[in-house]
Amino acid sequence: MISIQNVSKFYGKNQILDDVSLEIKAGEFVSIVGQSGAGKTTLVKLLIGEEKANAGQVLVGDWNITDLSKREVPYLRRQIGTIFQDFKLLPKKTLQENISFAIEVSGGTKEKIRKVVPSVLKIVGLDGKGDRYPNEVSGGEKQRAAIARALVHQPKILLADEPTGNLDAINADEIIELLLRINRFGTTVILVTHNKEIVNRLSKRVISMEGGRVISDKEKGKYIL
Amino acid sequence: MRSFFRIIKFSFQDLARNAWLSIVTITILLLALFSINTLITVQVVSDSAITAIKDKVDISLYLNSEAPESEILKLKSDLESNSKVKSVNYISKTAALQDFRAKYRNNDPVLSALKELGKNPLSPSLIILPANIEESSLLINELKVIDSPIIESRDFTDNSSILNKISSITQRINEVGLFIILIFVLTSLLVVYNAIRVAIYTHRQEIEIERLVGASNYFIYMPYIFSSFLYSLISVGIIIAAFFPLLTLIQPYLEVFFTGYSVNILGYFINNFFYIFGLQFLVILFINIVATLIAVRRYANV
Repeated sequence: MISIQNVSKFYGKNQILDDVSLEIKAGEFVSIVGQSGAGKTTLVKLLIGEEKANAGQVLVGDWNITDLSKREVPYLRRQIGTIFQDFKLLPKKTLQENISFAIEVSGGTKEKIRKVVPSVLKIVGLDGKGDRYPNEVSGGEKQRAAIARALVHQPKILLADEPTGNLDAINADEIIELLLRINRFGTTVILVTHNKEIVNRLSKRVISMEGGRVISDKEKGKYIL
Repeated sequence: MRSFFRIIKFSFQDLARNAWLSIVTITILLLALFSINTLITVQVVSDSAITAIKDKVDISLYLNSEAPESEILKLKSDLESNSKVKSVNYISKTAALQDFRAKYRNNDPVLSALKELGKNPLSPSLIILPANIEESSLLINELKVIDSPIIESRDFTDNSSILNKISSITQRINEVGLFIILIFVLTSLLVVYNAIRVAIYTHRQEIEIERLVGASNYFIYMPYIFSSFLYSLISVGIIIAAFFPLLTLIQPYLEVFFTGYSVNILGYFINNFFYIFGLQFLVILFINIVATLIAVRRYANV
């Protein structure tokens, strides 16, 4: 599903990723852990085509991200759902409108909006709360709305970059539970985090990064840093 | 089509959310268009003035009343052979009288005075039209030295200097006008560029999310292109609505000023409506789209 081969990335003279190689199979739940500056977010940016590697290859399904043109990036992003620590919801739109927005801007029909939006709201446990604005719901509910938005294109991969960073322990657990449920439906989930407790409790594959390098990659791993 | 309507919707949202910026942008475009149309008006009026004066440029040689017809025709023929002469019109005494009577047909004192004289007091004349108005002074110099006993007097009013003055003033106005237009065009380019840059800044969160959820580049930049189309359309629409009443206002003054000549500035703008305003719309649209594309490429990173 995802193949990262000998990837290096520089910002000016600073090397952020140093000869990183890893494989992620379809349907896996993988946690990428590491402290700030380890290169986790840069790896996420490479996967969604926001940055290009200076060396090596990044393959996502049939896409070779290394050679991806600007025109192809939107099509890749419809295949990869992404959620972030800061939710990235539009404050002047309701949760429902935020989710519809993802379908609207990719040219989806009104019929698709009517059909898909209520179903994703239900999946993330927000049915009945779609007409609320982001400032009217809790952090956990905001993240659920962001997950719902990420699911509208039925992505094969869900990339979660520090999704629990702004949440309390209870909400964080609920979000992780939701990600696990989505993974059970067959979606590959990549969780980028530095939350030790969550990673250790998950008992799933853990890739540890430090200084831009992969220092450990273990099935049912633990947070070792 | 669905995306197109959404692009239009987002574009109107841009205009509404940055209403003041939109007003300033449209105002600058209006100033540019106003200066262009003023220059066109000045050009049309000065062309009419030049045509009017050119019609009046003729040189008259008044001949002795008793000059034999054969001498007059010989002089006419000599003059016609001059390369600086376009044509020579012979007005006989009888024709001059007829013209005089026609001219003063409503002026009884003049006609009765003529009747009391009992004879034709007018002289025959040769009306000379220069081949080239700008060279009329050279022709006048040549005519001054013609020595013929049948020439009684010469009317050498040199209109070429007036023409030269009008041409020179018009040329100066055009130069200054073009400079002003150039400044306005450059200002428009910068103002539109800035308006789109601010619109992009205002929408940076939306753009980030649009990119995140897989909106095509086309979908991201097209609302801004459509906004620039709206800026052009609105500004040309306003200039049409504002300029025609202005032309209607000045038209009677022009008619009085150019009495006897057809100076119809309003008619000129109506007859050339699509050419004048269509071209202005296309030029403004081109400038706006260029500014928008530069701003979008730089700030929206598409």
